[in-house]
Amino acid sequence: MFIVDDLLVRPFMSVLEAIHSMAIRERYDTTALKNQIKENRLLYELGERSQSEYEQRNDRLRTQLDIAREAREQTRGKVEVMR
Amino acid sequence: MSSNLYTYGVIEQDTVDIDRTGVNDSAPITTVDYRSLSAVVSEIDEMEPEQTDDNATAHDEVLRELLESDGGRTVVPMRFGMVFKNANTLKNVLRNGHVAFRRSLNDLDGMVELGVKLVTKDDTDVDRPAVVEDVATRLREVADTEAANDLYSDRLVFNRAYLVDRDDQPAFDDAVGEIRDEYGDGLHVQYNGPWAPYNFVDIEISAEGR
Repeated sequence: MFIVDDLLVRPFMSVLEAIHSMAIRERYDTTALKNQIKENRLLYELGERSQSEYEQRNDRLRTQLDIAREAREQTRGKVEVMR
Repeated sequence: MSSNLYTYGVIEQDTVDIDRTGVNDSAPITTVDYRSLSAVVSEIDEMEPEQTDDNATAHDEVLRELLESDGGRTVVPMRFGMVFKNANTLKNVLRNGHVAFRRSLNDLDGMVELGVKLVTKDDTDVDRPAVVEDVATRLREVADTEAANDLYSDRLVFNRAYLVDRDDQPAFDDAVGEIRDEYGDGLHVQYNGPWAPYNFVDIEISAEGR
């Protein structure tokens, strides 16, 4: 009985883990967020974005980056299960 | 609470007189010496200061003042966020890295870093490979070394840093002026510096050393 349970549950769990870790990677893509922070700065320096627009975007992106870093840190073990 | 030492860069042994605040509004900017080297530091509370715009600017501006002080110094810059627990841990790093720091100071003697970016204006269509080749060729003629940086935005066509001898800076300025005349209608030409040569130093200090 134990063996049957194990076989039934395991493939199902690994699919869930795969979806979960892919979602984490996409949602918490820290490189993309860092690039957006740099692009925002560049467009502000070139005069294409006002100071208030720049600051609003910068605050939002930095908050997202903090969340992303924390999420990746917390899910590191789960993501590694996938490999 | 004991203070940690935020480190900006390393220079030939000397004192510094910098009249501005550093990272986290810290002051004064002082030095920690080891043999022929001086690390330029200020005391801060945190081991991991946040890289806000103000802090990044403070880091850059301390280095820029160093670069321009005393008739033009050579600076081996640290990347943002290098904090040491106390003067002894920092001296250990200077001792262990003495050869690398000395070599960098010699290689960078009289050199500054200048940055050039080309960015598309709204909806402009440019022949990117042709522009990159032309601009790179012109700038290489007046620079010592180049380093290609990340094209982190779709709008970035060109993003490179150049190591330039101070004496050659006027020629580099002229080359950028010509590039601006030629491409300025369709592209923003952003030219900045002189900076401490961040892109031309490769000294890594592990967290354990701090």
